[in-house]
Amino acid sequence: MLKRYGATLGVGPVDVEVREGEFLTLLGPSGCGKTTTLHVVAGLLFPDEGQVLLGGRDITRLDPQHRDMGVVFQNYALFPHKTVFENVAFGLRMRKIPRDDIARRVAQMLELVGLPGVESRLPGQLSGGQRQRVAVARALVIEPSILLLDEPLSNLDAVLRKRMRLDLRDLQQRLGIAAIFVTHDQDEAFEMSDRVVLLNRGRIEQSGTPEELYDDPATRFAAEFIGETNLIEGIVAAAGGAMVTVDTPDGGRYDAFAPDGRLRSGDAVYVMIRPERLDLAAERPAGIVALPAAVTKRIFAGDIITFEVRTDRGLLLRSSKPSIAEYRALTPGSRVWAVVRDCRALPRDGSGGA
Amino acid sequence: MTEAAGRFGRLLLAPIGLLYLIALLAPISFFLVMSVFRYSALDLWVPTVTGENFRRLLGEPYHRAIIVRTLKIALFTTVGCLALGYPLAWYLARTRSAWRGVLLFLVIAPLMTGVIVRTYGWIVLLGSEGTVNSLLRGLGLIDRPLKILHTELAVLIALVHILLPYMVFPLFSALAGQDPDLERAAHTLGASRARTFLEVTLPLSQPGIFMGSALVFTLTAGAVVTPALMGGKDVRMLGQTIYELTMSTLNWPLASAVAFVLVLCQLGILLLYFGSGRRAA
Repeated sequence: MLKRYGATLGVGPVDVEVREGEFLTLLGPSGCGKTTTLHVVAGLLFPDEGQVLLGGRDITRLDPQHRDMGVVFQNYALFPHKTVFENVAFGLRMRKIPRDDIARRVAQMLELVGLPGVESRLPGQLSGGQRQRVAVARALVIEPSILLLDEPLSNLDAVLRKRMRLDLRDLQQRLGIAAIFVTHDQDEAFEMSDRVVLLNRGRIEQSGTPEELYDDPATRFAAEFIGETNLIEGIVAAAGGAMVTVDTPDGGRYDAFAPDGRLRSGDAVYVMIRPERLDLAAERPAGIVALPAAVTKRIFAGDIITFEVRTDRGLLLRSSKPSIAEYRALTPGSRVWAVVRDCRALPRDGSGGA
Repeated sequence: MTEAAGRFGRLLLAPIGLLYLIALLAPISFFLVMSVFRYSALDLWVPTVTGENFRRLLGEPYHRAIIVRTLKIALFTTVGCLALGYPLAWYLARTRSAWRGVLLFLVIAPLMTGVIVRTYGWIVLLGSEGTVNSLLRGLGLIDRPLKILHTELAVLIALVHILLPYMVFPLFSALAGQDPDLERAAHTLGASRARTFLEVTLPLSQPGIFMGSALVFTLTAGAVVTPALMGGKDVRMLGQTIYELTMSTLNWPLASAVAFVLVLCQLGILLLYFGSGRRAA
């Protein structure tokens, strides 16, 4: 299966391809064009240019009712005047499926989403989580070629949201159906997806597996939108292979990964250090770059403690550490050595910024 | 709501409650009582209880015809407003055009001119020397002017036009309040535009249909000026009948009986509306 389009609806060009059985997420801040992209795929919007291909067939101008795509909307869009059964049966009725088959398939699908026995209730009588499951059942019962999900978890409370993530991912894997998921929540995107497409201002910023996006952000926007990060401006002093040496204005010198090998001596870059890869040590470690610093802030989140430290040369850095005795002892004012375990060099030009 | 807020709320409702008491309950009780009094040419009425007024009203073909005609015109006006108003309300609710505000204003604008002005407008258009007849004759389609004015059709046309805003607004708010994703969802599930309308849009606009219909029906049934001007002596309705019985014939007991029947019809429609409204909710 293949979908590809470039649209200009204040969006695009965007090229997205979903493979069979793949869970793809469109991730981005509000207004980045992710819902528009989903609507184009579903046929709810026709792009001014570009194509939507389904298994090689051009469906760009095909009306949504002929596309066989299951869509779950942000507010679920359950028909409030129809019972749960009628909601789930709707797509089957439109396909003129025999009555007995409809009853059987609706019951099976409600069983599958873990909601048996609510057939005769109206959507207004269900909880948010139940409504979400009905919406998923209604989209899946027509055995669509692809499942499209428009921020389906954003209206649930935090605990439920976490559970539904896993349930939804489970269901998608069991059915082996391709899915496009739209969200602004990076945790959601990472936990659920095989691949993530990061959108910004109607354009693709970067796409790849969650690991690729986290480890090798292509731009400053990607680095800052996904996870926490420390960015230090610098200039490449020496380049060679997958490693570059970067000098920073505070007099620092970092050996940074630059996997694409495109950086040259003299390029303006950011040194990117993820907070969990910045260690805080009481003693100066041997054989590794370490910056003398003082803790300025301590943010306790239960499992993780995030520290803000200021190096003696004036850099403000964040470090997140497990909540164990060694780190619990650190408080604002504590003297530490900030140890850079691993850092990346990120080109500074054309980075979009945030 | 807290107890204090409840008490405060009731206090705020006091003026309107007083107004209703004086302007609605008092006259209704007045004509309820009057409708069973005996008519007297000398004293206007004598306070002896009689069923004669209702017997005349429901027994005499002349009066029965007026009741039937009133209900018929009210029904047709309601259907006419619904047929013309629904597409308009739907368009207004769905359009993204920058003109939406202007169009909404144009829908209300007629309410700002008086009923009489608009009715005279229709007389100019529909009279035997009116615009419509002149045009048809000029085109050679007819030899003698058509009699449009002073027919039920004329009353109907004018009432539909005048009462259209009362239909459009409830429909508009019912349609505009619908989540646009509902129609999208129906499409993605395989429903054509027509099916989506019948299965989703129409049933969900039901409260607006009931509200608009109840408004238009009760306003038509009680209309006085427009039927009088457009229908003349030939198309008599309950409103005019009450007016004439009260002001010229001075048969107040019979007038009260007519008013009683009219209010009963309107109340029936309103009960039907609220009954179905509660079922829908």
